[in-house]
Parts: sequence; structure tokens; C-alpha cells
Amino acid sequence: MIYFDNAATTKPYQEALESFNKTSENYFFNTASIHQSGKTASKLLESARQQILDLMFLKDYDLVFTSSATESNNIAIQSTLRRKKAFGSTILTSELEHPSIVNVLEEMKNEGFNVKYIKTNSAGQVDIEHFKSILDNDTIFVTTLAVNNIIGSVQPIEEMVKILKDFPKVHFHVDATQAIGKADIDYRGVDTVSISGHKFNSVKGVGGLFVKKLANLSPIQYGGGHEKNIRSGTVNLPAITSMAKALRLTLENARAVNQRLSKFNDQVREAVSDLKSIYVQKKSAPYIINLSFIGAKGEVVVNALSERGILVSTTSACASKLTTLNETLLAIKMDEAVIEASIRISMGKDTNQEDVDELIKALKEVYEELGDVLA
Amino acid sequence: MKFDHILVRYGELTLKTKNRMMFVYALRDRMNQALSNFDVEVRANRDRAYIDINDENPYEIIDKLLNISGILSMSPVVKIAKSDDAMKETVLKFANSIESGHTFKIEVKRADKNYHLDTFGIQQLLGGQVMEHTDHLTVDVKKPDYKIMVEIRPDAIYMYYDSIKGLGGLPLGTGGKALLMLSGGIDSPVAGIDLMKRGVEIEAIHFHSPPYTSPQATEKVKKLVDIMSDRTGFDIKLHIVPFTELQTTIYDKVPDNLSMTSTRRVMLRLSEKLSEKINAEAIVNGENLGQVASQTLTSMYAINEVTNLPVLRPLLTLEKNDIVAMAKRMGTYETSILPFEDCCTIFKPKAPKTKPNLEMVKKFESNVDFEPMIEKALNNIEVYMPSKESEEVDDFSDLL
Repeated sequence: MIYFDNAATTKPYQEALESFNKTSENYFFNTASIHQSGKTASKLLESARQQILDLMFLKDYDLVFTSSATESNNIAIQSTLRRKKAFGSTILTSELEHPSIVNVLEEMKNEGFNVKYIKTNSAGQVDIEHFKSILDNDTIFVTTLAVNNIIGSVQPIEEMVKILKDFPKVHFHVDATQAIGKADIDYRGVDTVSISGHKFNSVKGVGGLFVKKLANLSPIQYGGGHEKNIRSGTVNLPAITSMAKALRLTLENARAVNQRLSKFNDQVREAVSDLKSIYVQKKSAPYIINLSFIGAKGEVVVNALSERGILVSTTSACASKLTTLNETLLAIKMDEAVIEASIRISMGKDTNQEDVDELIKALKEVYEELGDVLA
Repeated sequence: MKFDHILVRYGELTLKTKNRMMFVYALRDRMNQALSNFDVEVRANRDRAYIDINDENPYEIIDKLLNISGILSMSPVVKIAKSDDAMKETVLKFANSIESGHTFKIEVKRADKNYHLDTFGIQQLLGGQVMEHTDHLTVDVKKPDYKIMVEIRPDAIYMYYDSIKGLGGLPLGTGGKALLMLSGGIDSPVAGIDLMKRGVEIEAIHFHSPPYTSPQATEKVKKLVDIMSDRTGFDIKLHIVPFTELQTTIYDKVPDNLSMTSTRRVMLRLSEKLSEKINAEAIVNGENLGQVASQTLTSMYAINEVTNLPVLRPLLTLEKNDIVAMAKRMGTYETSILPFEDCCTIFKPKAPKTKPNLEMVKKFESNVDFEPMIEKALNNIEVYMPSKESEEVDDFSDLL
């Protein structure tokens, strides 16, 4: 099995698994217990929190641990919007969002909010000029992902922060789920930032929400108030230490990994460049290659590769059961034929030259095999 | 922008004439202590101090000095030779570090009037240099975004554009010593740090009543002392006094609605005795007029009666909001609000008198001889010195 679906989820670092196990064994205590052991667990929790804040250069921020980026996004959107209702009702979002943003916003429409989409340029980034033109005094919330999960385009977060300085009403939320270790982004100035551990080689079931001003948030589910009175439920300390460890290793290795993946990315592009029915999306974050075997449904190519032991995905695994056309590719004005045919190849820290050679070989074989149906 | 020194400007101590160096040396010692983990060299002169920062991050160093009293402001600076060429070269580095579209101005201070150019000459030279070699900035002499400051001193020229406000006040250790009554709440740490701003050294006293109060409550006070010490660059010694016997006795012998007044009186007596022992010249607490029953003027009158030492109350007239804001700024707030019972909350009477009658209190207290119990408590004080690093962080290093 050769794994090329790292944008869907990643294999944990061995060290991150060890952290999980050791913490489960030695610090299984409830961080809210007031006995000595609970206190030690709580200290470990705070050390992990501090380490993550330091690594993200967000020393002045708070960090609320959650179960996933989906939960983080829900807290950021729902609690902020309900609080800001008095100030306006317009939400601006990119067209490139994950369902954990889109579907929450759709739900919020029922509470009277008005959602406007920021246009996307051909590079798959929010169109800054259009963003400026629709930003107005009724806008209370702006949200974008940092790196797109379909084509890997990196969004101009710093520039948006600057523009929003003149709009103090606006809460700026960034979904950085795909961005950790993939793109160097300065998040300072963003109001809330979501991350998810399993996208950067931690165990699953843990995420975080960075918060510039904690007082601006409120819980959306009620309980014992464990995490800063924003998120209740016994704290998943083993997963949190695993995530802290994985984040450290990911960022330490980021430069070397990205250089390697960028080389692989170029190799794949080069190899398919003379196969005329393959359309490859522009290169952005090096770990993602999105390409279309025009004429064949993406699903067919995914299955053909899967038979050869190579795991890739159609659009986004989280949404691939939805039958509508992918929003990201629609947003960058791709033809229906390109969208229907698209597959996503996403590499990770463990991807090596042999894997890439196998992938190239398999892509060529599948191309031959599908020959007749291809355009 | 790469800086090589930090310029430290003194606060009020520049008003001192005869004994100024005593203040300067005290400040230098504090800075050295606060920066002990950095590879830096502090040189404190009569008028200002320079910190040679080697390759350290200047803003991390300034952060460490933000709560050192006696500092008016600080600037990361570049020290250069006294020549036109050196200035021209350096001013370009400053200009290039400013983002496009901003305005600037060259401002000159000449402590050495013998330099061959005067203020206007230097402004022309450097302003011209920037305009000639860059095209992303414009000059605005009235309201510039950046003032590039050029100071011509006898020893060298210093250039900078950033100035960060310090805490002000007087260097610690120049104003004697006081004993801080530290409960673990929000107010007392703030009162202590506030007094330290005036140069007064602090030791702290805390009362605990095991098993009614938990070890966590004591840990919390130790943590507060750690934070205060870290923030002020001064190791605050904490005296933990066993209070169970005295407290249960008061609970037994004094009626419920006056027990609080008696408790405070005994605490103050203990504080006075400890002050004598450690040569403190005053007691300081976080009392705030009218905040709770023990802090009405009548209560203060009844409680204060047991001592002749000055009882300092830096927060006396502040708003609670302001105190909370100060606690947040000083980093003690999060610890102060941890929910552990201290001795005041557990034995809290249901309806304490806001206007306790001193004669009544004295009458009930006369039934008990507190003196031996006070002596015993004093002899069983546990002393805690703040810890620099928490060892737990290292214990966890393999997990994180």
C-alpha cells in the first residue's frame, strides 16, 4: 500500500504515539481533579498548551483544546455570530471552504445572517480586490481557510489581517487545518484559528482553537467548563500531548519535508506533461497535486489506482459522498469535465522516491488502460 | 532590523543628586538579576544604561525588564562610530526595515556638541541619504510614522526608532522593606507589586489552616510568589504561618459576627511580630475601602488597633475593575482566581459586622491568652523561596 491521501489524514509520528501511550499510562488523571495527580496532569496540559502557542508564534493568544477542527470552527462561528448580532448581519467567506464552515454558515442563515462569498482568482486564492469591495459596515465575520484542501492554494491571510484593521467590528476566523507545516503564515491579528492534530501526524480526535480574546467567545455546548469555560468534557490529555509532540516535529522538519515534496511534485508534473488528456492544476502548497484524466470520472481513476495499491482520493474525503461538483474547482472556473475527472494526490512526511516512482508508473498504466474513454 | 544594544532611560531617580549612584547600582543589580538567563552585559552610567545584547532578541530582553521599577523607557539601538559614513550606512538599514508607504523623519539629539555637523546638518545628510537610495518612504516632519532618532554622544552615535515605556518608579531595594499579607486573592499580589514600584523590598506572610485549607491553596500562594518574583526580578521570601490553632480558638471563644474582626487582629499581631524579626518597617495589604466587611473604615479602626507599625494599603481607593486589570497585566490574575479555599473563606461568618465594636471585641479576646499560641505559630513558620524554573516542565519533555 502506498499512501497518497495525506490531506485526508496522516499516519502519526511514532513519537506522537509514544506520547499518547505514556500519557494514558502515567497521566490518565482528570485535569480538573484537585488532588496531587490531577494537578500534575493539569500542569502537563498547560505545558502542552504553552508549547503549541510558542510554536505557532501566538504567545499572547489563548488556546482551547477541542476534539477536531470541525468543533473549533463551530465554536468560533456560532458563538461569535450570536454575540455580534447587534452589530450587523453580513458574513464574508471564501468559496473554498470545508463543509465544517459552509454547513455551519448555511445553518446560521436560518438565524437571520446573510452570507456573501468572496470571489476566487485563477490561482485559487480569495480575490483581494473583490474582498475589499464587498466588505462593509454590516460585515461582522470573515472566514477563510489558510490552505485549500483540494488544490493546496495558500490564502493571503496577512494581507486580509491588514485590510481588516480598518473594520474593528469584524471577527476574522481562519481554518488552518491544512496549513500546519505546509505554509509559513503569520496568524497574529487573526481573531480565531482552527487546527486539527491528525492532519499533521498526531493521533486523531484532537484539535484546537487559538483565540486572540477569550472573552469574545462563549460555549456552544454546556458542561463542566474544562477548557477555559468554552469547551466542556473531560480533557483528552493523551491526544493533546500527542498533538504537541507532532506539532513540534512537524515544524522542525517542515523545511526539509517541503523541499523534498516540491521535488516530487515537479517529477509527477513532468511525467504526465506529455499525456495530453491529463490536466494538472497549478502548483501551490507542494504536498498536493490535483489532476484530471479528462473523460474519466475521478472515482474511476481512484479505483484503478487503488487496485494497484496506490491510495489517492477524489476531491475531499470529508465531502466525497456528496454528489455535487466540487466547490473549489468550480470557484476557480474549471470546466465541468475537469472537475468531474479530478483526483487529489497528497503527499506526506513519509513519502519517498520509490513511492513517487510507483505513482508515476501507475498513472501511466491507468492512462493507457482508460485510453478509449479519455478525451 | 538588527540591533546591538538596548538603551535604558532612568525614571525618577534622575531627580536624585547626591545619592544617585546608589539608585543606579540598585537598578543595575535588578536588571542583571532579571536577565540572568541571557548572554548580555549591562553597563549603567549616571544618566542611562546600555545593555550589550550580543545575539539575543532585544524585544525578549525588554519584555523581561518591563516590570523592573526605576526604568522610564527602553529602545533597541544600533551603536556606530562617530562618522558621517557610518551614519549614512546605518540610516539606510533603518529605512529599509520600514514598510513601503510610510512617512519618516530624522530627529537628532546632540549630547556632544563638538561633532562637525549640527542638528540641521545631520538631518540633511541622513534624510538626503534615505531619499536618494530608497523610493518607498516619504518625509513628514510634523506627524511621521517613524522617527529615526540619532543621538550623538561623547563615546559613539546611537540610532533607533522604537521606544518602549517601562514601569517608572524607583529601583527596588532603595526604599526599605515591608511585609506583605498575601491571601491568595486578586488584590494582595497587586498591592505588593505596586509598593515595590516605589523601591520597597517585600517579604510575604501567608496563613494556612490545615486540614481546613488544602495544600493546593498554599501551592497557589507559592505560585503567586513565583510570578511576582519573576515579574519584579526580585526573589520574594514567603513565610507560611500555621494558623489552625488560633483560628479554631477564635471560632470557639468569639461570637460568630465578631470572629472575623478577631481573626484579622491576630493575623496583624503575627505580622507585626514577624516584621520585627525580619526588619520590615511596614505591613502592606490589599485592602480596598468598603470592598468587604473587614475593609470598612470602622473595621480597619478595630483591626489596626493592635499595631503601631504603618499598615500600607496601596489599593485603598481603587475600583475593583482597575485592580483586576492590574492583576491581569502583572500575570497574577489567572492564579489568583483558582478556586481553592483559604482560611478566610472557610471560617467566614454568615453575617460579619461591618461596624465591629472595638470594646466588645477586646472583651471577648480577654478571655483567651493568644500570646503562647502566637509564639508557637511563629516558631513553626515554613519559609519558601521562589523557584526559578518549574522542574515539571523538564519532566514532561519526553512527552512533548
